[in-house]
Amino acid sequence: MPTTTRAAEFRTSKDLPLLRRTTTVAGTNGQVVIRHLNEEVVLENEAAHLFNKLRPELSGASAIASIAEKVAERPARVRALLEQLEKAGVVSFQAGGNEGALMSGMEFYELHRRHCNAWLEDIYVHPLWEKITTGKATRAQVLGFAFEKYHYIEAAFEHMGTAAANATPEMMPHLARHFIEEYTHGDIYRKGLRTLFPDDVILRSQPLPSTRALVNYLNETAQRNSFAYYSGNELLQMTENTGDQSAADAVNDFYDAMRKHYPYTDKLIDSFIAHTRADQALEHQDAFRLMCKSVPPLTRREVNDALNVARNMAEHLLLFLDGIDTFYAKFATVPRLPCDPLSE
Amino acid sequence: MASLASQYRTKRVYEITGSEGRRQLRLSDRVVELGEREFDWYQKVEAWLPSLRGVADLSRELGMDEAKVPRFIDALEKSGLLYRVDDAPKTMTGLEFHARFSAVLDSWLSQAFAHPFWERMMSGRGSARLFTGWLIELYHYTKNANRHMPLSCAHAHEKPIKQLRAKHYAEEWNHYHYFMKSLKNLGFTESQIAESVPLPMTLALSNFMRQAARQDILAYSICSAVLEGTTVNRKTYNPYYDKSAELYGIPKEAIAPIYQHLDLDVQYQHSDLFRDILEHVPEIPAQRASEILDYGHQLVEHIWQWTENIEKYYQVESNPVPRPQFDFARD
Repeated sequence: MPTTTRAAEFRTSKDLPLLRRTTTVAGTNGQVVIRHLNEEVVLENEAAHLFNKLRPELSGASAIASIAEKVAERPARVRALLEQLEKAGVVSFQAGGNEGALMSGMEFYELHRRHCNAWLEDIYVHPLWEKITTGKATRAQVLGFAFEKYHYIEAAFEHMGTAAANATPEMMPHLARHFIEEYTHGDIYRKGLRTLFPDDVILRSQPLPSTRALVNYLNETAQRNSFAYYSGNELLQMTENTGDQSAADAVNDFYDAMRKHYPYTDKLIDSFIAHTRADQALEHQDAFRLMCKSVPPLTRREVNDALNVARNMAEHLLLFLDGIDTFYAKFATVPRLPCDPLSE
Repeated sequence: MASLASQYRTKRVYEITGSEGRRQLRLSDRVVELGEREFDWYQKVEAWLPSLRGVADLSRELGMDEAKVPRFIDALEKSGLLYRVDDAPKTMTGLEFHARFSAVLDSWLSQAFAHPFWERMMSGRGSARLFTGWLIELYHYTKNANRHMPLSCAHAHEKPIKQLRAKHYAEEWNHYHYFMKSLKNLGFTESQIAESVPLPMTLALSNFMRQAARQDILAYSICSAVLEGTTVNRKTYNPYYDKSAELYGIPKEAIAPIYQHLDLDVQYQHSDLFRDILEHVPEIPAQRASEILDYGHQLVEHIWQWTENIEKYYQVESNPVPRPQFDFARD
């Protein structure tokens, strides 16, 4: 039976300290502020001074004893500070070949959540939201937003179908259920669009390359690894199913502002809200936790694969918003109809 | 009887320019000049055609008697800005299809490369960092040929077409080494580049090619032909590399492998491959022809969005170059 270790103990060697690559460090007047994900560590006076001396050595390649010797400090003092920084999550100790260590699904779930919340920050501050809520977005951007959401939701047929068909035994019941519960959701958006456009125009319309990129990334991952696929899909679900009142209020404020500035989108917004409610009724916010509970322990490679997919998904989601913002600003035709032998 | 709106569609307009109250609309085969009032009317018709609104609504918007609306639409059709859906051929041969493709390729490429990035680079407002970023993405894009070219062979059904696609793959599969050589001459190590991750739009290009490969070998081949169309002759790419080397201090050794790669593409005559494939296709029904063309044009849009993604990422000084993979123990 495989043994599992805690995520923090994934690395057994505590001798090769690394300042995590994604930290940012700022410092003034004897104070050092280290930021990582959504957390911040503040060091003052002697601790700040010691950190500044150690910082160039924290590449994960040097042992504590040699670092201490190089900066002329006592090894115990160096170790004490670095272990505190490890607890705060900004320093890690590099593995000495412990590639076989395993992480439980639930430990992965916590790790995934922490990183995804940080990766989603850029999504929430994307300039497109502000443009829509202040009325600065063009008609093409606003209608384009509705069409691209439709294409993305409608693509459940592609990626969720592929994921269910390629699922591991542990993931299959979850992915089958997810597909069966979601495949009609594109029609909710289509109902909204049908108040402005003929049905055949909606069905023939083409997504932007950036929307296609998001859908194809889901499709490709769904074929390759069902757990990594859902790790990425969960990041997308986190933007819809927060279950948190302040996030729900922010979404309602967004729709209110959109209705005010773009009255012709009234019925479209009704369809957006209907979709959010349909999603919430399915209680998908708990789906990934249940999946993580049911999967066998994960290797380091599997953990990194699933987290890389989630990070890439965040980048693809940002690209999805960039596409609506920039493409519809430059090429204002909406809906985007496909080519035929005479159109070009 | 079909409604007026369902009988017409708009031709793609590749560029709109204007001066002194006149607008020039560039189509693939002509330039149509309109006065400001006619241009406004044209835009209203363009928005009305795929909508639910009736002729009476359009007539109100145009401020035109309802009886005159069909005549105005007819005039737009005669000018080439609209076309009748029923005029499309029901079927065509492979070579007829190729003639249509060749007639629009230049317009498509002008759209693909209309992104301001190119003007920025050529005018000295770019940077060595942008040039390097673009080259890194080109490395990934070229290496990713191994994700779609063999897949297209696997999904091709006719023997001669399979053969042509496989030969193309055999000639191209390892061309990413040219870009690796360039990047090494810019000071990167092999592992830094090989272990880096492409931008989402770079990955999207190869994912889209994979989608096309699974869908229809001709849809895949038109995308491949658009990409090959970007490297037909030295005149199209020399100025960019020469100017970038001069403006941003790019060493000649980093440019030389890129030229070697482009020369090899020309030598293999890959730009003729689509025609060679279509020679083996006796008949293409209108629906399939539309889908193939659509893949080609979507690829054009992918190139524009790819350029946007490259500029947006690499212009930010704090973004890592190259982009490392995420590692939970290090990040």
